[in-house]
Amino acid sequence: MSEQAPANPNWARILLIGRNPAWTAVRIAILVIVTIVVSKFVLIPIRVEGVSMLPTYRQGKINFVNALVYRSHEPQRGDVISIRMAGMRVMLLKRVVGLPGEVIAFRNGQLWIDGSPVPEPYVKFPCNWQMDPEQIGPDEFYVVGDNRSMPQSDHTQGLAKRKRIVGKVLL
Amino acid sequence: MKQWIVRAVLLGALAALGYWLWTIFFPNPEKVIRNRIQEVARLASFSSNEGALAKLSNAQKLSSCVADNVEIQVEFQRHSERIFSGRDDVLQACVAARNLAGGLTVEFPDVVVTLHPGKESATAEVTLRAQIQGERDYIVQELKIEFVKIGGEWLIRRAETVRTLQ
Repeated sequence: MSEQAPANPNWARILLIGRNPAWTAVRIAILVIVTIVVSKFVLIPIRVEGVSMLPTYRQGKINFVNALVYRSHEPQRGDVISIRMAGMRVMLLKRVVGLPGEVIAFRNGQLWIDGSPVPEPYVKFPCNWQMDPEQIGPDEFYVVGDNRSMPQSDHTQGLAKRKRIVGKVLL
Repeated sequence: MKQWIVRAVLLGALAALGYWLWTIFFPNPEKVIRNRIQEVARLASFSSNEGALAKLSNAQKLSSCVADNVEIQVEFQRHSERIFSGRDDVLQACVAARNLAGGLTVEFPDVVVTLHPGKESATAEVTLRAQIQGERDYIVQELKIEFVKIGGEWLIRRAETVRTLQ
């Protein structure tokens, strides 16, 4: 009785499509679906454009927005968040500096909340912004970029409605 | 058995073809408005080497996307506001912009269309992303555009800038 030796497996084929092509196709399909769902509803990939968040986030940097983080708690001061515009393909990237109900002001570049100065270690460039005290509404957050060296009039900042906040930047 | 599968596949293909033809001859108003917005983006974009005749022609095509009594309200950096009223005003502004800027690329990456009851008017919330030739930064602005159906065509009746941050 003689046993026939098994034919040499084609390793290149196994590496590409696996031992069982049908299962490989199923695995690929599941992977694609999971990736689409995660990147649309959980970790949204973004690419930073513009200079308003310098030096924390540089132009062209890839990052992710955690879209689930504010289901358990509200945005906190210091969080870098994404704010949706008409849709989710273009969003604003800003830092939360004022919380609902607070009074915010800038004096000679210094952030003041409810009449007290608030340190901002993430602001690295000199700033001389002035802004009279402004009351933040119950469903609003005051957001601003980290690059305060640019003229205040050119810098997009202001009150973001809670419903526009998509999530917190991950990295 | 095999014959049934072939018949089912053919029937499915025929249904898909029918649906495709239906959408070609009777397009969904939302899709027509989306196409109109992309047409506006294409016509609003221009390069630095656009000829004088092309400038006028494209500006005229762009102004044909708006209604005669259009009103466009633009707020610049929260400090100043400009209102363009009527098609002629829009045409002049388009020609002036093409003469002033070296080149411009306009895109509307986000478009949300809401049809009003009766399907004769609609509102589109869009994000405009524009880049002036030679500049590194993009201009990003949220807009609200109101469309009306006039003579079977969807035309812009009103457009205004929207503040993302208050």
